[in-house]
Amino acid sequence: MNTINNSQHDHQEPRIGVYICRCGGNISDVVDVDRVAEVSRHIPGVVVAKVHTFCCSDPGQNTISQDIQAEKLDRVVVASCSPFLHELTFRGAVQRGGLNPYLYEHANIREQGSWAHKHDPAGATAKSIRMIAAAVGKLQYSTPLDQIRLPNHRKALVIGGGIAGMKVAADLAGRGIPVLLVESSGRLGGRLNQWNRVFPTDTPAGQLVTKLLAQLDANPLVEILLNCKVTAVKGFVGSFQVTIEGPLGPSGAMTSTQTTIGAIVMATGFRPYVPDDGEFLYRKDPGVITMPEFIDLMRGQQTGAGELVYKGRTIRSIAFLHCVGSRQIDGVHTPRADGKINTYCSRVCCTTTLQQALAAKERFPSLQVYDLHQDIRTYGRGHEDYYVRAGKAGVVFFRYHGDEIPRVELANGKHPGEPSLHITFKDYLTWGEELTLDVDMLVLAVGLMAGDIPDLINMFKLPVGEDRFIQEIHPKLRPVEISVNGVLLAGTVQGPMNIEETLNAAGAAAVKASAMFLKDVVELNPYVAQVDADLCQGSGSCVTQCEYDGAIAMVETQVNGKSVRQARVNPGLCVGCGACVAVCPTRAINLNGWRLDQYDAMVDGLTADIPAVAAATS
Amino acid sequence: MTTQLHKTLHEDIHLFGGKDVDLCMNCGTCTVICPLAREEGGTFPRRIIRLIQTGQKRLLIKSLDPWLCYYCGDCSENCPRQANPAETMMASRRYLTSQYDWTGLARLFYNSALTEILAIVLVGLFVTGLFVWFHGPMVLSTPVELNTFAPVKWVELGDWIMAAVLSFFLLTNAARMIWNTLDGKQMFRISPLIYFKAVPVFFDHMFTQRRSRQCGSARSRSFWLKHLLLVTGYLSMLVLVLILLRWFQTDRIYPFYNPQRLWGYYATIALLYPTGAFLISRWRRKEPIHFFSEASDWIFLVMLFLTALTGIMVNLARVNGFPMATYVIYVIHLAIAVPMLVVEVPFSKWSHLLYRPLALYLVSVKKAAATVSLKTQPETAAA
Repeated sequence: MNTINNSQHDHQEPRIGVYICRCGGNISDVVDVDRVAEVSRHIPGVVVAKVHTFCCSDPGQNTISQDIQAEKLDRVVVASCSPFLHELTFRGAVQRGGLNPYLYEHANIREQGSWAHKHDPAGATAKSIRMIAAAVGKLQYSTPLDQIRLPNHRKALVIGGGIAGMKVAADLAGRGIPVLLVESSGRLGGRLNQWNRVFPTDTPAGQLVTKLLAQLDANPLVEILLNCKVTAVKGFVGSFQVTIEGPLGPSGAMTSTQTTIGAIVMATGFRPYVPDDGEFLYRKDPGVITMPEFIDLMRGQQTGAGELVYKGRTIRSIAFLHCVGSRQIDGVHTPRADGKINTYCSRVCCTTTLQQALAAKERFPSLQVYDLHQDIRTYGRGHEDYYVRAGKAGVVFFRYHGDEIPRVELANGKHPGEPSLHITFKDYLTWGEELTLDVDMLVLAVGLMAGDIPDLINMFKLPVGEDRFIQEIHPKLRPVEISVNGVLLAGTVQGPMNIEETLNAAGAAAVKASAMFLKDVVELNPYVAQVDADLCQGSGSCVTQCEYDGAIAMVETQVNGKSVRQARVNPGLCVGCGACVAVCPTRAINLNGWRLDQYDAMVDGLTADIPAVAAATS
Repeated sequence: MTTQLHKTLHEDIHLFGGKDVDLCMNCGTCTVICPLAREEGGTFPRRIIRLIQTGQKRLLIKSLDPWLCYYCGDCSENCPRQANPAETMMASRRYLTSQYDWTGLARLFYNSALTEILAIVLVGLFVTGLFVWFHGPMVLSTPVELNTFAPVKWVELGDWIMAAVLSFFLLTNAARMIWNTLDGKQMFRISPLIYFKAVPVFFDHMFTQRRSRQCGSARSRSFWLKHLLLVTGYLSMLVLVLILLRWFQTDRIYPFYNPQRLWGYYATIALLYPTGAFLISRWRRKEPIHFFSEASDWIFLVMLFLTALTGIMVNLARVNGFPMATYVIYVIHLAIAVPMLVVEVPFSKWSHLLYRPLALYLVSVKKAAATVSLKTQPETAAA
């Protein structure tokens, strides 16, 4: 056991204020806060220890700011709730009192004290004292820190010119931010160029593209690069150096340009699931087609056009099969090449299927239309209407179980004009009875798959989820951000979404990107690694260990006239994980705000031989 | 097993009044809420709706479920899709009636009100014609001599001929119902004893409609009583007109309290009050069962009401000594009553007087047969 004393450091005697919060009883009902204050006063370095009912309230915060002035405090501890709640609050109070906000420590005696040890008041009290002692110990070694400020290049890059990318570009440019929109194909609009009318409004898809195109054309801040690809990226939030190559394809010579970008939005979209050859007889019988192919077929058909003819066959009956390539079940469905199955729901196929089934029935009233589903998931506003209308129009619904996939065989029809496809399935709306349908056409309502973007994933270190889509930091709280600072997601690059959801996501990404440009500099928290040039021997272990490209590197430098190799941190790329600290053989690297001597002091504080603690626990 | 799907079945049911079948999403709310379905293993109305949606015509024709429903309307009230399961059950009863009928007339009448009215008018004109050309002397002095104008023995003969013809159609249709629902072969495999033992069920339900009292909450309590009153009314008339006509159609004027008059008055009230009440309820859409009215529903009630009304008017005219009025109203009375019976009993709504108790009888036979085969199963397995 160590006894806390002042001899461990040689700088001027600190004057620390400790504020213990009752949290309106949340803490004080269990922890004896007056006793904690009493004991805290005896911890070396502490000159003030006070109890307040709500430290976070205005009077509570004012007490702290005023004490800093009156008592000439140079460091502050608040023992209260979780730092997630109020660490920033008290840093503000400290700053208002005239101190550097990083000369502050937070002791969580509610979540880790009174709430965790409700039935052990004496233990909770003792633990609170130790946590304060640790905080005080750490503070003794704290130095003033400043936020890292990096130049912010006011220009955004949007990768992907589909509806999501167009929306992001239009929104950003509308807020006065220059945008570079890069599209690998020769045309903007993406998947929407393939669709006909889109739910729930039945608006022609082309109309949406045209409207966004008009917005983009009207804004001189938008630069559109078609047939181009992002091939390399360096740098960090506020200043990415991006290499773009293009035009692709036979026409024109390929050029490569470099540009500096502040923020990047990924809007590369999805690709439709493509069934394997022979999956539901796809590519084995011309009557089996996917939903995109069916939409293409329907595009040219007029109302009252007589009969639907496809590849020379008159189509009198159609079955739509839901969940092809979605909601797959382990052991039932064949995995893709990467060994994975698509367990997720693709969200758009149900309503699309109902919309298309209805459209087919409305255009060709004599057509027999069947719908085979696991569930009908018409979750969005206006989607259920298609279901009701399709039912009314005479579409017949069947429900199969996911682990009993309908079987499709060639019908034995000898005569031309007879249905070519024979579908067998158990219908759970008819008590699991096995039914058969003979149809001329089977439309596979294929799901959404993650876009094929391995180069971008490698380049940006994009976090890929189990479903192959790019994963956000938090699905609810931080839905368009990813772990790479300064790179945002818009639309189906992130997972299955319909057009409304895609545009919502794109709008959110555009707002997030705009917010990054509110300041001319990018401010990052100061908890990054720092190399002590006197101690660094240039072992290079830190560089090998670092997971973040370019965050730490070996550089040639002059020490006492000699050229040596030493590690140097790029604060824009360092995330402060501490991996380099742990591997450095000479303890030359420290994390600002969490230095090794501070950890030592915290451990000393936690294990200190405090007489009052002993008394409390006995 | 391949189930043949009959593509046009739901369009067919639409013609019989089942207009909202396609709205159903098969949630099953109707079926859990139905107290009668619960008793029968909980299959209808959903099963019937599903059979219609998927076009399983053979299974629908085989089913007795539609006859087990008495239309309280609870299912329609609770349907989340307003798909009117109760009305679908009603429509399938109409459909089944037309399927049992081998003449095709039932289908014709249900699908075209005009045809039904035309048939009624034609039969009515035929009856009127018989009287115009073959009536007896019209004695215009009092007391009124109705039996001289329309001798009871001839009327009685007409009654019996009509009863024979109608019975022939109704019974052959009922035979088809049995054949359809018991699957032909199964019919002969069931022991005659089972058929015999179940006979009381038939009469019990025919006279009491006991099961309808277990119907759901939406049905008014008085409905059963009114319907029962109606049944006693037309049974009375059946007996008075078919068996006791020589006693009932007299020229003698008995005192008011004489059973001959009292019974007649009772039957009149027992017919007029419920039919009148049902007509008003249909007009105002008071009860769920009366929310939707097909032409066949109106025609049946109006004809029954008019038959009773003209019947009592004949009596009043005769008792009060108006000979000419008596003769004219008598002809009108028969010109309404006869076509009503001819059209309604074997080919339209009134056929339910036989089909419904027969269905309950068949259900009970099937249950008994199933119990027997269950009991004999272990023995056959052991053998």
